[in-house]
Amino acid sequence: MPDIPYKDKGSILGPLKTLGFFARRPVTEPFEPRPAADSYRGFHVNDWEKCIGCSTCQKVCDNAAITMVKIPGLPEDPVLGVRNERPAIDYGRCCWCGLCVDICPTGSISLTTEYVHVCRENELDSYFVLPDPNGIHGKHFDKGWDKTADADLVDLHQQPMGEVEPQQRDDNFDEIVHGFTSQQAIIEASRCVQCGMCHESCPTHMNAPEYIRAIWEGNAEEAVRQIYRSNPFSHVCGRVCTRRCETACSIGRRGDPVAIRWLKRYAMDAVSDERIREIAAEGKVDYISGKKIAIIGAGPAGLTAAYDLVKKGHDVTVFEALDKPGGMTRYGIPEYRLPYDRLDADVEVITSLGVTIQYNTRIGRDIGMDVLERDYDAVVVAIGLQQGRSTRIPGSDHKQVRKAVKLLRKITQGKPFKVPRTAVVIGGGNVAMDIARSLARLQKQQYGEVRMTVAALEDFDHFLADPEEVTEAREEGVVILDSRGPKQCLVDENGKLIGLATLGVVSIFDQDGRFAPRYDDSDEQVHQADMVIESIGQMTDVSLFGDELTERLEWNRGRLRVDENGRTSEPWLWSAGDMVFGPDVVHAVADGHRVAAGIEEYLGVKQ
Amino acid sequence: MSEHGEGHSAAYERIRSKKTLGEILEVATSFEKAAFEFYTALIPKVSKNLRYLVEELAGEEQGHYELFTSLAGNPDIESRIQDEIKTPAEDRRFSDFVQLPDLGDHPDDQAILQYALGREDAAMKQYRELADSTEPGPVHDLFEYLAKEETLHKQELEKQYYEIVYSGGPGNG
Repeated sequence: MPDIPYKDKGSILGPLKTLGFFARRPVTEPFEPRPAADSYRGFHVNDWEKCIGCSTCQKVCDNAAITMVKIPGLPEDPVLGVRNERPAIDYGRCCWCGLCVDICPTGSISLTTEYVHVCRENELDSYFVLPDPNGIHGKHFDKGWDKTADADLVDLHQQPMGEVEPQQRDDNFDEIVHGFTSQQAIIEASRCVQCGMCHESCPTHMNAPEYIRAIWEGNAEEAVRQIYRSNPFSHVCGRVCTRRCETACSIGRRGDPVAIRWLKRYAMDAVSDERIREIAAEGKVDYISGKKIAIIGAGPAGLTAAYDLVKKGHDVTVFEALDKPGGMTRYGIPEYRLPYDRLDADVEVITSLGVTIQYNTRIGRDIGMDVLERDYDAVVVAIGLQQGRSTRIPGSDHKQVRKAVKLLRKITQGKPFKVPRTAVVIGGGNVAMDIARSLARLQKQQYGEVRMTVAALEDFDHFLADPEEVTEAREEGVVILDSRGPKQCLVDENGKLIGLATLGVVSIFDQDGRFAPRYDDSDEQVHQADMVIESIGQMTDVSLFGDELTERLEWNRGRLRVDENGRTSEPWLWSAGDMVFGPDVVHAVADGHRVAAGIEEYLGVKQ
Repeated sequence: MSEHGEGHSAAYERIRSKKTLGEILEVATSFEKAAFEFYTALIPKVSKNLRYLVEELAGEEQGHYELFTSLAGNPDIESRIQDEIKTPAEDRRFSDFVQLPDLGDHPDDQAILQYALGREDAAMKQYRELADSTEPGPVHDLFEYLAKEETLHKQELEKQYYEIVYSGGPGNG
């Protein structure tokens, strides 16, 4: 290759060549910038209606060009997974890589074809922009780099969860759900964008982003460690949690939410019970406080409080009326959803730390509340909602009209009872599904066929049971009828229960969402049955307090009045769990932590 | 159920003999007063955690008492009643299938609500029957109005019943 002749000065006549330009047509460049290419990466726009403030764009930005800015007045609801924050872009840092667009779970953020912004020296702040749908200068520009299926970094589809086929499960109580394999768990964990919406929506604020990341890293033990930061009932919650986390999951905006509950189950099942006990014991103090705590009820709320308090060095005794622990998680949830050995594993973690559970001890009958008040530094009542409500329709006092919670308890305890050949369940919640599916299994075992009907007051648009419960119940042969108002339990002339009469419900709620049923008298149906099971609501039995303490306590519309720490109007007495907040396992766990923190604070003051 | 008070059939025979709006309202007001006194007397008999429910029922009867008293003193009573009955209240009938309980010594929250529903339902039906058996005119309209008031009260109680009994609320057995 020849050298470049950079020292060549050219001909002396060279300037004359410029005269040739006089013969050329002038070229005029427009003042407006030239249009950009279709997928150009210009300035951002953000659809505030779609944006949920999840901050995933901020997290993915390698240049730290994005700051989440709180916008007062925007909706904020942790339960629904909505933050009142929106991303602001520092164009001094942005490199227009478009990763914020590719990762955005909602698809709210895009880059446009607009690319020119100039300012004076004192306007440098104008490069820090809070994108909205109108763009940086309020002028319309076409979308440039936008969310496409090819560039989308969000995996919208959950890993499939294997289940036992209906024909293999309808006559036994074996667990239905298989759980994830290691590979499935890692792939599922990789779908998480670490936005933390799940953490905020969870009643006990589980560190889900952290344990999901640990699973993705293949470190199940670390996942368990993160799980135990906030939930000692994780085998249970890994199977039957109401998973508000998944409702709030930002990935669920366009696709399936991350299967957070199944990931928790995976981590718990992947680590041995012994190792879990060791991990759970981390952080336990190495001294004895000398304080005694009594807890009434060995359900999730009571035992969570016990777990926290024993780790603080207190002497904790749990009084349980029945012969096994778990409360409604054992006696209200069938084993095909929650195997008892997994529940036992959760409880053994807690007892291994030194919590004593005194079974078959009913407070108020075997031991008075006055004794607990005298002998313990603090007392927690966490007795749950252990009694079923009755419709009290005509005929509902017949001996073959049973309550779901009692019957479920009987099934769990293995106590004998005559399985009905044909039965109707009144109710449409998860408990109604639990009893219907349990009895259906027993019918299949004993009679070879299922004759089980569920008659719910609510229509399917307002159904209380989880959709998968309804689907699985149908697969197992249970007939589910919505919009049926219970009218009467029918008894023949010999005093034998023969069925349930219901009326069609045309509508159930008014425009304010309050109960305002309208019945269709022309739509009366009789559902033949030799047993009717009522599953309409639950309540707690507060008779353990006795008349004197009931009078001393303050109440709030039938419930114990408690402060922000769960403490009642009696300074030595706390209350937690379903009896305070209604039925929900993970809420009960959260409440257990709350009262434990309150007691710890109280004991510190008392000391 | 207290004798000759709201919801009791004998009480409505008494009101049938009245001919003027003032007289009818006077008897209707006395029903509300009797109901208020009944619930007020019941308050100390129920467990403390359930007293709120009976207190609310007493308060509602007191509200009705004041409403009817105010109406009786209103010089435009006829036009006021006509305005009120322009929009009838629908009987939801949900509680038609709930049995009327014997309150006993220690009623639970559900029994208290069942009882109150029974009273309102009976009162509604009695006023409705009186309206149906009365020629069109101010007296008919007054019975329509009273039936509507009892229907609205029953509707409110049904909502409360659903929220306590059907929605898993803690309550007390």
